[in-house]
Amino acid sequence: MNFIHSLQDFLQYDFLLYALLGTLFLSITCGLISPLLIARKNAFMGSAISHSTLLGLAIALSLFSSEKPFAIFLTTLVITILCTLFLAFSTYRQKLPTDSLIGIFYTATMALGILIHSAFAKNKTDLLSFLFGNILLLTKEDVLLSMAILAITAPLIIIPFKKWLFLTYDEEGAITSGVNSKFYHYLFFILLSLLIVTSIKLAGTILIETLLLVPGFFALKFANNVKQTFIISVLFSTFFALLGILIANTYGLPSGATLAVVLFIALVLSLVFKKIYTFLKSF
Amino acid sequence: MNSPTPILRADKICFSYNGEATILRDISFSIYAGESLGVLGPNGGGKSTLMKIIVGLLKPSSGELYFEEKPSSEFIKYPYDFFSYVPQNSELNTILPVKVSEYMSFTAALYKKQNDTDELLNLVGILHKKDSLISKLSGGEKQRVLLARALINRPKLLLLDEPTKGLDSNGQDQLLAIIEKIKKRDQTAVIIVDHNINQIVRNCHKILCLNRTYHWHNNSDLLTKNILEDVYHCEFEHLLIHENDLQPGKEKADHENHLFCDHDHSTDKETHSLMRRKK
Repeated sequence: MNFIHSLQDFLQYDFLLYALLGTLFLSITCGLISPLLIARKNAFMGSAISHSTLLGLAIALSLFSSEKPFAIFLTTLVITILCTLFLAFSTYRQKLPTDSLIGIFYTATMALGILIHSAFAKNKTDLLSFLFGNILLLTKEDVLLSMAILAITAPLIIIPFKKWLFLTYDEEGAITSGVNSKFYHYLFFILLSLLIVTSIKLAGTILIETLLLVPGFFALKFANNVKQTFIISVLFSTFFALLGILIANTYGLPSGATLAVVLFIALVLSLVFKKIYTFLKSF
Repeated sequence: MNSPTPILRADKICFSYNGEATILRDISFSIYAGESLGVLGPNGGGKSTLMKIIVGLLKPSSGELYFEEKPSSEFIKYPYDFFSYVPQNSELNTILPVKVSEYMSFTAALYKKQNDTDELLNLVGILHKKDSLISKLSGGEKQRVLLARALINRPKLLLLDEPTKGLDSNGQDQLLAIIEKIKKRDQTAVIIVDHNINQIVRNCHKILCLNRTYHWHNNSDLLTKNILEDVYHCEFEHLLIHENDLQPGKEKADHENHLFCDHDHSTDKETHSLMRRKK
């Protein structure tokens, strides 16, 4: 019964409708990128980018007061993209494991961010609180922003879809067939930082990292071919993100955390059912 | 047989990583349409490095490559459609569940040759596995898929880095027979890197031995046991068999028919088919 009332709320209140649409657009975008992020072994890079936003945010808050959210957003975006480009440059076709470099980089940028914030910020509020957005507080502009991110990301993934797959599956084969590996390497990280910076403002770091990792992981566990992988990832991401926001609203729970937990439970349950099914099938 | 223009000519290719120890020094050779060049040498001798230079993954420190006598430096974009490369142990990313047909379509889409894929899979004898996941195929089947993928652009030059690695002798023979078929069908020039000296000497027209220095043989018959021992820094016995020795009715192998053996030995296939180092 509660659920039905909750559904009615989404149609009745603008802020809930915005939350629903924002979640829908974000989950589709993340569902599209997620299998690539995991298959390219860049999951840690996603974490590094989301944490390095702290440096951008600290610099932005030193330059602008918190009454200028758009200036803060743009500054954070530009600085995070610059950091990401440096990481992309340092990790392109490296033989040495890149996870250590990424780890060093993101702890260093976080630390630098905290120092800059404590020394120069115009508003000394808790810096970390900026990293935990609230999807239930989205405005119309935020929804348009999440739609714009989807409109930018989807064609850049779908049109050269086979090139992305070729590079991910057989990088040397793709390069020697003329695919510009360096271009796609940088493009992927720019798209990722664009998505993360925008989403953190809207949804918070927990939710965005969950949306970037869980759907792809689920799809790669269950899909039988490449197309299926991406379709399953988008459907899983969208369905459980919307279910999560519905539950959060029904029981008055924190939105980002609820969505993250719902996606995680869905993943664990499906893996358990798969194990049981495989076990029963063996008899 | 040789056309006047070589498909590929290397002129004094040198390579070292960041100015450290030289891996390749003054490597020169040429290969014509329909010919095969075998590259031999111990690990670390520069075989794979040479392949990566030819396909543009590495840049030589000095020297020049000529594709049909046009210097590679004069191409605005590296001539990727001129050749195809099957890397060593082709590091396929097993995280993605890619089917044979999907993998073929990645390259076919680049060259807009979607219709040729079945024909090529048939050529390498793997059409029946078209809808299988590549991760579920055997080593030999995977190599055939890689080979079929490399043929989509009908390359003038095919580069194979240890194509028979991990295959049993039957698998090796089958793969080399397919390569021979491709060579004859399309007059494709083929460069093969392999550790199997017997296979290379038997199947290649020209031999390049690499071990930081190099020996170039315009004809595989000119390769001698001494040169191989020099390249590999060790002594060999039983380097090459002649198939005639294994014909039924032949009781004892005639050592004069052996390119690298200087003593009589049995016609037992096992002892013949192995290249062995002296203990």
